[in-house]
Amino acid sequence: MAVTTALEWLGSCSGCEIAILNIGEDLLPLITETLDIVHAPLLMDHKYFGQCGEGVTLEIPDAVIGIVTGCVNNREHLEVLQEMRTKCKVLVALGTCATHGGIPALMNGQDQQESWEGIFTTVSTDPGAGVPDVEVPPPLDRVYACDEKVRIDMQLPGCPPNPEFIAEVIVSLAEGRDPILPSKSVCDTCLAKREGKGTVDKVKRFIENVEFEPGAPIEEMRCLLEQGYMCMGPVTAAGCAKRGVPGCISARVPCRGCFGPVRKGGNQLLDMMNGLVSNGIDYKSVVDRRSILRFTGAHGRLRPVKKRVAKEKN
Amino acid sequence: MSFEPKIIAFCCHWCSYAAADLAGAARMQYPHNVRIIRLMCSGMMHPEFVLDALSQGADGVMVLGCHLDECRYREGNYRALDRSDMVVELLEDFGYEPERFNLTWVSSQESDKFVKAVTEMTARIKKLGPANGIQG
Amino acid sequence: MTLSEVTDIAGRAGNFTVTVKEAPRYVDMEKCIGCGDCTEKCPKQIDSEYDAETVKRRAIYVKYLQAVPLKYQIDPEACIRLQNTGTCGACEEVCDAGAINFDDTEKIHRIDVGAVVLAPGFEVFDPTDSGVWGYGTFPNVITSLQFERYLSASGSAKGYLVRPSDSKAVKKIAFLQCVGSRDENLCGNGYCSSVCCMSAIKEAVIAKEHSPGLQTSIFYMDMRTHGKEFDQYMECARETSGVRFVRCRVNGVEEDGTCDDLRLSYINEEGLQVEEVYDMVVLSVGLQTPKHALELAHNADIKLTGDNFAATSDFAPVQTSRAGIFTCGSFAGPKNISQSVTSGSAAAAAVSDLLASARFELSVGASFPDEKDVSADESRIGVFLCHCGSNIAGVVDVEALEEYTATLPDVVYVEQNLFSCSQDSQDMIVERIQEQNLNRIVVAACSPRTHEPLFRKTLKAAGLNEYLVEMANIRNQNSWVHTADPDAATSKAKDLVRMAVARVTCSDSLKSISVPITQKGLVIGGGTAGMIAALNMAEQGFEVHLVEKTDILGGNALNLKHTWSGQHVPTEVAKLVDKVVWHEKIVVHREFEVTAAEGFVGNFKSTLTRRDGLKRTIEHGAGIIATGAEQYIPQEYNYESITRVVTSVQFDKLYELNEVHVRRAKNFVFIQCVGSREENNMYCSKVCCTHSVQSAIGLKKENPNRNVYILYRDMRTYGQREALYKQARKLGIVFINYELHGKPNVIENGQVIDVEVWDHILHRPLKLEADMVILAIAIRPMSDASTLSKLYKVPLGSDGFFQEAHAKFRPVDFSVDGMFVAGLAHFPKSIEESVSQALAASSRAVTLLSKKEVSLDGVTAIVDEQNCDGCALCVDVCPYNAITLVDRIADDPDAGILIRVNKAQCKGCGICQGSCPKRGVHIAGFTMEQISAQIRAALAV
Ligand SMILES: Cc1cc2nc3c(=O)[nH]c(=O)nc-3n(C[C@H](O)[C@H](O)[C@H](O)COP(=O)(O)OP(=O)(O)OC[C@H]3O[C@@H](n4cnc5c(N)ncnc54)[C@H](O)[C@@H]3O)c2cc1C
Ligand code: SF4
Ligand code: SF4
Ligand code: SF4
Ligand code: SF4
Ligand code: SF4
Ligand code: FES
Repeated sequence: MAVTTALEWLGSCSGCEIAILNIGEDLLPLITETLDIVHAPLLMDHKYFGQCGEGVTLEIPDAVIGIVTGCVNNREHLEVLQEMRTKCKVLVALGTCATHGGIPALMNGQDQQESWEGIFTTVSTDPGAGVPDVEVPPPLDRVYACDEKVRIDMQLPGCPPNPEFIAEVIVSLAEGRDPILPSKSVCDTCLAKREGKGTVDKVKRFIENVEFEPGAPIEEMRCLLEQGYMCMGPVTAAGCAKRGVPGCISARVPCRGCFGPVRKGGNQLLDMMNGLVSNGIDYKSVVDRRSILRFTGAHGRLRPVKKRVAKEKN
Repeated sequence: MSFEPKIIAFCCHWCSYAAADLAGAARMQYPHNVRIIRLMCSGMMHPEFVLDALSQGADGVMVLGCHLDECRYREGNYRALDRSDMVVELLEDFGYEPERFNLTWVSSQESDKFVKAVTEMTARIKKLGPANGIQG
Repeated sequence: MTLSEVTDIAGRAGNFTVTVKEAPRYVDMEKCIGCGDCTEKCPKQIDSEYDAETVKRRAIYVKYLQAVPLKYQIDPEACIRLQNTGTCGACEEVCDAGAINFDDTEKIHRIDVGAVVLAPGFEVFDPTDSGVWGYGTFPNVITSLQFERYLSASGSAKGYLVRPSDSKAVKKIAFLQCVGSRDENLCGNGYCSSVCCMSAIKEAVIAKEHSPGLQTSIFYMDMRTHGKEFDQYMECARETSGVRFVRCRVNGVEEDGTCDDLRLSYINEEGLQVEEVYDMVVLSVGLQTPKHALELAHNADIKLTGDNFAATSDFAPVQTSRAGIFTCGSFAGPKNISQSVTSGSAAAAAVSDLLASARFELSVGASFPDEKDVSADESRIGVFLCHCGSNIAGVVDVEALEEYTATLPDVVYVEQNLFSCSQDSQDMIVERIQEQNLNRIVVAACSPRTHEPLFRKTLKAAGLNEYLVEMANIRNQNSWVHTADPDAATSKAKDLVRMAVARVTCSDSLKSISVPITQKGLVIGGGTAGMIAALNMAEQGFEVHLVEKTDILGGNALNLKHTWSGQHVPTEVAKLVDKVVWHEKIVVHREFEVTAAEGFVGNFKSTLTRRDGLKRTIEHGAGIIATGAEQYIPQEYNYESITRVVTSVQFDKLYELNEVHVRRAKNFVFIQCVGSREENNMYCSKVCCTHSVQSAIGLKKENPNRNVYILYRDMRTYGQREALYKQARKLGIVFINYELHGKPNVIENGQVIDVEVWDHILHRPLKLEADMVILAIAIRPMSDASTLSKLYKVPLGSDGFFQEAHAKFRPVDFSVDGMFVAGLAHFPKSIEESVSQALAASSRAVTLLSKKEVSLDGVTAIVDEQNCDGCALCVDVCPYNAITLVDRIADDPDAGILIRVNKAQCKGCGICQGSCPKRGVHIAGFTMEQISAQIRAALAV
């Protein structure tokens, strides 16, 4: 018997939905046999307030599995998320925005008021325009990950998430078992040669190519961190690897950290910086260290820089 | 009631922890705000603990290790020093005053230096007020 | 045994009967818990000898609070009660432990032993009787020992530099060297105490750090900083700290008017009489053998030198004149800490050599019940709250603490003890563990640093793993330091107990693992040091492989004629070579060098290669590096071009051969410090001063008409060698001091060699016409030392010599376990010191080899295979290279990699744990979970 499933997207870019589609051939039996999709704004025409707008409260049909993508950024996201929580037995947060705030949470690093004014009242906007207060749902005080607002039963990060593991989550749920997901870091899936980071003293900016033999397998390339590049592999959850090599590394580019921290509650910024300083690498050589939180700005991690000067006066 | 801060102090077994014991034997008196956690070396200190402690309600965190070049494990305190420089900067990123963290070198004989360090830290944190938890 | 004295030693080596008189202590060592309540109540105050009479102590006291074990004692002379029964007795009243026993009496013990080591140490010269430099008359003239107390925080002045007479802040201090040393008129001590120069510099530097702006001047004859890294320290004191050094003889110290300041008069280097005013004068007092040690020497019937030190041979520096009786420390001549520690180990080596056959006969191992496996059981925590008499209970409300503790999760049993550490409490805890089926224990008492070993034993006795105990330090770090605030102390005690409970909940049983040991030694280098070490190990029954690079054993000693005390070196070396070559346990590998090495303590494997490529592999448990040093080949003083400018070693040869130039020469000039104590080589070669003085004496004695000059920077005839210096001056050998910036000029001038130097006594340039110039060349580190350094991962110091683990306390150990160093490889030193160090290294190696296996502390790094993914962030942070990367599944690279920790190399510092972002590695006993649990518990409420 097919399992009823509801899909929702909050503050997201639809990359995660494309990732679902990228499950490829295996997707067909999933959506035709395994799942009974009862609600999915991207795929089917199902409205919140009744098909003709006759409803007064936001309503999503009951489902066993709920999958949400995207972060919680405004009041509408919050309402939708809460409704999903009420209606779904098992709620899955899919993609890094849903699990850790993702790219939209970069906003948390700036003053919200200033950002909104910047967006809506620049030279290119209509003269005299202000921050809109109708039609655009009012923003929350900052960008949240889903689990900061409701209980989440399963997290599957990735920007985008790996279709293989999306399938695994769905199948395992349908089969009533725990999914088999990677639990270590990107390095675990990386084949680059490692010896130790002791020889690096500064991190290089990624403005020149890493050293590798074109055509030679990754196994013959020295670990990018050991080459002096800010590869976030050690502090990033594994999961991106397809055909045995992490996404970025297969392109000979250092990991940017898009799967978020390895451990729940892990802190990529702190862990990465600690990994560097513990090896005697000058942490001051990291340009814009807060960008290490580029995918994980929720959970209060990324916050506007306090103006220390003002504080010292009083 | 006046503000009584909670301060977590990570002490190296070989130096500052011994200095704290010695301060006791000499009946030196110091503020009761510090809770000591014994580590084998200041290099054992994972920076994660600083944020952990602050987010769980500590108002200050101290690390006390052997004087440079006197670490029992050669370079543990150099690691602690590097990490502490980094932590002080990162505290600001995470919304805490850098003054909430302190690193001090204290040999096993320097009970006076230990007492001075915790007394000063307590005074400093009292002036600073309670730490506003990470979510705040 | 403390407060005891040896009154007689009868019998022979291997079979002595020693009579020991034990004076009453009046405090039961078993019962005393070192709380110090008695001292607080004792009404009688007297001067403390430890604080060099700068503070008072009581009649019941400890010498210093750092003493281990901390046990009090009563000074019967001072105690009111002991002087007058029926009076006082305050201490007995306050001692909750009931440790005071006024009826204690003197006891006589007779002990049968195989060997005796005499180490009665030294006392500092007391200038009171001589009243020298106004000591005892002017309050601001103090000894260096008193000054050290002044500087130290536990002393009376609390670390602030104020002077004794009027507590005025001190701005200018003068240090006067050689008080009670090198001076037979004043005190009869003609020898050099050899440690005072260095300690004066240290005191001056520390004093300057204490009070910025302080001016310190050291007045001296010769700065004798001949130890390892000492000259560097002196330069740094001069250049960076700004300590002033004045070479002169002070004429007098007087009080300046009525203000207690001190006026010093002396003749400066320009020959002018100068006066300077100081706030304080510190006398650098020398060392001497104390009276009781002389009595001991008499009782033991051993010979002393003229300077009252134990007489020894240079090739057996810890052997006294009586077989079976050994000595170490400054009883056998003035020594600094590292030399004393070295000689201590050397004495141990000599004793084991003598008693090798009896090894282990007496030692019995304690036996414990089998350990219960509690890993699957639910936590059942027992908490024992110690009153420590009134030390804890007098401040902390223990009742409230008990009530609170019982509410903590998993705590099933709480009990209060008067003294948790007493024997009956131990027995009781064992009982409770068994009857209550406890599987984790918290003892809230004093410090784990002192008492954890005791409670670990208690757990073992109860059949529990010893690591399942945790101490909450509610005395030293609570009741003692918050005496005035019982409420705060009680609530802090609750926190501390809660933290300990949280921590012990996450504790696991740990096993100290053991690794089998290859019971063989490897000695690299066949000089004196290497041969002595090899021989000593072999005599104790261990197979030794001795590797020598050249085709001949002996090393640098082959060039030497006499030791400083006049022993004939060639004879002694020949004897030594003979013994080594014929010893059945020693395998000598001549013309071999170590080319590869692997393994770790107890299990090394070294590959030796001969020049022709022949290879041998040696497995060994310990290794000693005794590769010696090289002679410096001078680039200066026209050594290359003038044939009659020779090195000291060449001169010895020429002299021995009665070579024609030497025979005919009338004027000899020795130049000291050639290649030593200057830029890039800022160290003293230590042997050359004595060597030149000896050569000069030989020349002069043979023919008093010869003119012999020694151009020196500081005459470093340290210790009892000073007698040679004195003799040389008596014989009319001329000593001329030169400074680094005014080095002599050596120019060939027809038949003679002109040596120009500035004469500091006559204050004009001086030209000597020499027939022969002898350069006292430096000792240089082996040029290939870095090869061995890399092979065994043992470090080299900045001067190129091998670097020991700790300059003072581990002088022959390397930071790599199982490797040791001896002789010139470590630093320039005389034969006698090389021998002492070689014996010490052997002793350390034998301590290791005599075990079948090394047991390693349970507190080491453990890889969490679930979490570690081989990111390699921790690999290079380990200071001991204990971490390597390996395939998760052998030979299956696709399964990924992770780290492996070599337990034998890991010291448990936890730097790796502090670096890992994923909890891939943890330190047993200090896991991230345990620390997190403590933090959480500390902040919960
Ligand atoms: C110029 C000079 C003057 C001295 N004058 C005096 C003095 O007057 N009075 C005094 O008491 N002491 C003096 N000494 C010091 C004295 O010689 C030493 O203390 C003593 O000889 C002990 O030396 P050793 O065994 O440590 O080293 P060495 O005698 O140098 O022996 C080291 C041995 O190791 C061998 N070796 C080196 N490298 C290797 C290797 N890689 N593998 C295998 N073998 C190797 C060498 O060939 C040599 O045989 C003097 C030393 C020098 C250099
Ligand atoms: S740091 Fe980057 S390159 Fe190196 S092993 Fe990890 S993922 Fe691969
Ligand atoms: S390598 Fe890093 S940044 Fe790149 S896809 Fe994988 S997790 Fe994302
Ligand atoms: S001659 Fe030798 S012993 Fe004397 S001071 Fe110079 S280096 Fe030191
Ligand atoms: S223990 Fe941690 S830091 Fe070390 S390799 Fe494993 S995961 Fe990386
Ligand atoms: S605990 Fe220290 S010695 Fe042991 S592996 Fe870790 S870093 Fe190395
Ligand atoms: S041992 Fe104290 S800091 Fe390393």
